[in-house]
Amino acid sequence: MHILPKADLRRLTGALAERHALYGPVRHEVSGEVIFDLAAGPSEIDLDIPIPYNPPKGVVFPQAERIMSFSCDRASKAVTVEPAPLAAPKALVGLRPCDLNGLLCLDRFMLGQEYVDEVFLEHRKKMFIVSNTCVHPFPQCFCACTDSGPAAVEGFDLDLTDIGGEYLVLTGSAKGGELVRGLGLAEAPAAKAALRAKAVEASVALFDAQAKDNKAWISRAVNRITTGFIPHEVWEYIGDQCFECGACAFVCPSCSCFNIEDFKEGEGRSARERAWDSCSFEGYARMAGDHNPRKAVEDRRNKRFFCKLSFSQSRKYLRPGCVGCGRCVRVCPGDIGLPNVVTAIRRETTKQVPHE
Amino acid sequence: MIYKTGICNFCGTGCGHLMKVGEGTVKGVFASPGHPVGAGRLCVRGWHIHELLATRERITRAQVRKDGALRDVPLDEAIALAADRLAAFPPEAVAFRASPRASNEDNYLLGKLARAVFGTNNIDLASDAGHGHTVDVLLESGGLPAALASVADIREAGSLLVLGIDITRQNPILGSELHKAARRGARLVTLSSRRTQIAKLSGTHLQNRPGSMRIVLAAMAKVLLEEGLVDRASTGERTAGFDGFARALDGLDMGRLAGLTGLDLEAVRSTARALAGPEAAVAVFASGISGLDRETIAMAHNLFLLAGKAGRKGSGLLAATGISNIAGSWDMGATPRFLPGYFKAGDAAAADRFGRLWSAGLNGKPGRTVEELLSSSPAALKALVVAEHDEGLIRHAEALAALDLVVFVGAYDNPFTRFAHIVLPAATYAEADGTYTNTERRIQLNRKKVEPGPDILPAWRIWTAIAAKRGVAWPAKTASDVMKEIAAAVPAYSAVTYEKLEKGFGLQWPCDEGHPKGCPHPGELPGRLSFAAVSDRFTAPAPTDEYPFLLTAGTDNTFWHTNVIMKKTHIPRREYNALLLLYPQGLVEISAEDAARIGVRDKRPVKVVSASGSMQVAAKVSTDVRPGTAYVPYFIGDMITGFLDAHGSLLEGGEESVVPVRIEKV
Repeated sequence: MHILPKADLRRLTGALAERHALYGPVRHEVSGEVIFDLAAGPSEIDLDIPIPYNPPKGVVFPQAERIMSFSCDRASKAVTVEPAPLAAPKALVGLRPCDLNGLLCLDRFMLGQEYVDEVFLEHRKKMFIVSNTCVHPFPQCFCACTDSGPAAVEGFDLDLTDIGGEYLVLTGSAKGGELVRGLGLAEAPAAKAALRAKAVEASVALFDAQAKDNKAWISRAVNRITTGFIPHEVWEYIGDQCFECGACAFVCPSCSCFNIEDFKEGEGRSARERAWDSCSFEGYARMAGDHNPRKAVEDRRNKRFFCKLSFSQSRKYLRPGCVGCGRCVRVCPGDIGLPNVVTAIRRETTKQVPHE
Repeated sequence: MIYKTGICNFCGTGCGHLMKVGEGTVKGVFASPGHPVGAGRLCVRGWHIHELLATRERITRAQVRKDGALRDVPLDEAIALAADRLAAFPPEAVAFRASPRASNEDNYLLGKLARAVFGTNNIDLASDAGHGHTVDVLLESGGLPAALASVADIREAGSLLVLGIDITRQNPILGSELHKAARRGARLVTLSSRRTQIAKLSGTHLQNRPGSMRIVLAAMAKVLLEEGLVDRASTGERTAGFDGFARALDGLDMGRLAGLTGLDLEAVRSTARALAGPEAAVAVFASGISGLDRETIAMAHNLFLLAGKAGRKGSGLLAATGISNIAGSWDMGATPRFLPGYFKAGDAAAADRFGRLWSAGLNGKPGRTVEELLSSSPAALKALVVAEHDEGLIRHAEALAALDLVVFVGAYDNPFTRFAHIVLPAATYAEADGTYTNTERRIQLNRKKVEPGPDILPAWRIWTAIAAKRGVAWPAKTASDVMKEIAAAVPAYSAVTYEKLEKGFGLQWPCDEGHPKGCPHPGELPGRLSFAAVSDRFTAPAPTDEYPFLLTAGTDNTFWHTNVIMKKTHIPRREYNALLLLYPQGLVEISAEDAARIGVRDKRPVKVVSASGSMQVAAKVSTDVRPGTAYVPYFIGDMITGFLDAHGSLLEGGEESVVPVRIEKV
């Protein structure tokens, strides 16, 4: 581990900005809220501000993006397919551990299975990630319940932990090591290096007092969702509160569903775009031939929580799909952020109600 | 930073958003967490507004019809032609239709163009019938012609009443506030003939027979009178018209309540008692295309006044505007009846005031609406200017085709251009600075995010250019300059400036010398409120042997007002199509009991027959309507509009309108 004085953070971001588009948490000029956005410069990124309102997934998986163009010459019947333009290398600085875990879920969905998504890979392969340990939780956080924080375990090039006046820098990859050497950072003495674990411990101890908005003891819910032993009335209670806006999927760091549209751009020329989609939408669930296995809104809601919490899905992500960031709670027009759903399931299943 | 703050332009809730821009175009949108109304939420429409703004289906060139086809011409030539041709008609034969999505600046100058340049008060607004009723009732009763309650009041109120509106579909984030208030313990009561989502989420759902809401509200008022629960101040010196209202209520026989409304008297009583309690109360209803009729709004106002909930901080009626700037467009005088600021058109002093402001002699006669003009016989209209039309005028296709001149000004491809002789391309709201006034009088600034194409101007610049061709030079060079003019013309906007607006999240009018930062609680304004005049006759549409169903029409989430706009999006359009694919012939929603009686299952064809028409659609069997009630979503225009148009007069009353029908198996 190495030491980076806090005042020198700009050296790190400055070095990254030389070869990357620099993204990180910035405070929005009007709303005052924290947004994960393209930074105007290396000094705009602020690692002390709260978890951003939007997840960083938009950087690798944009809300709407052209993924290819194609044209067809009718006379010669020649078809040309042009892939999307190459993405510029990006540095994500100050990623919170929950969001890093969300990114890893996306990796495992987009890259880790039988099919590799080339567009996602193009964004992802040139990326430099600097994670930021949460030395204290924020009110909406419940990563302690979902095993996704308050410190990162994997997936970063460099990881920073604020130990007061300076950061402990943990190296996670060869290119991370290169940057540390390039910046000439000093090695952390063993006593200081031990402070990372202490900071994590202290942060976890603060959850009861500071992370008051949400709790989600998910293990019981994982069991019930996996086995399907949840009374239908629970899903109806949840479905009645769904406004079908899609927001929970859009703000979720691990949600990966998308829609594809083709557009005519001119004679014989078309573009293909993809865009975020959501399992809350009826049209999303509809199959070819008009069959819809998830016609009722509560059946679509149950799909979401299956994705986030079932064991079978966790095997694909190598962790639960929920990373405990609390964003779905804040954006939901109903009152069915994931922690409340977990509570509803636990309440029902601990009532010992006989179910069908 | 690629996320820029802005205001959603779909419904009148006016949620804040962060728009993602790059490479000269809109690439995405995110909810704005700090915004006082949206507070970090958007609905399905709001989450996809970038799809509309980035659509390729745009009007990008000025066009003029030559030899039957629209052909591209230079912008200046088209503007000059429009100005010259419009001037050739007498003022009473020219009309202007404003868009309820356009900015205050756009609609203020459109009104000025109609009145000061072309000398006519024939200007109206699409989709606004219901809002006119709200304005009338509130003006008549001495309050402000707008919502007296704010969205923030919902968060504090102990008692919440939803009148009809399917609010989680029409104004979803207002619906969210109601739901969250109920979760915190507020008493949420929905009075509606259909079991809407908010009805399911309410502690009490009073599922009245369609068309009887006014009687239910009257009965609640009568309960307050009978049980001595009336607010003393409301019947005393602070108000006027109490005696007349009390006399009107004498006409209601409470013994007939169940028969008229289908509701149990005891349920109505307990709701009335709860409303009279000491806590603040807010009632929400739709104001706009599917709003309530005048009599029902008047009754709701009187009930609130009687219960001491009108003119009190934190309480009042919240008229939920269905489209982004319906409220602001009325403030700007986009109506034949009012000049900007609700000065009466036809009033000599008002004509004099605006004549001086605009350096023009104004027409002293109030105007007529475009629909009145198009349906009058012999034809009264020769020339029509339309901004961003949805589908309201299509029912007058024959009259439109017979006009000498139709000028269409819009940003998006629109089937209405088939009637147009001149088409002028306008900027989208993301391509121009402008202010929009939401359902709670909040004037909000939306800054330009991307550059419009070379021939594309903000609508207010198009109106300015047409005036210039008529030899009238208007001084405003920027949207901010237009706001300075508005501030001089509209007393409630007199202290509004762009400098103030861009520092925060809008100003709630009245924003004037006394309220430089706006006024979130106009209930505290001094002044005497009066009871609105109401009819003392209490009848409701009743089923007959020949027409045993009462049919109503309403809206939906993904396809609510403008087919033209929503069809330019991808996901909301797909969601609409999901419903259409299930019911490709359109649908009528009926109860399982009625379906069994008729002998049809879900998706089977039925014939809906009224005294003046019939249509064949599929039955949608649902638990959301009661036996004897039938419901059609009117937005399935392609199939159903023809039938509903034949009942235009019956449906003018908005949500409480009823068409008696019978439904037959085919």
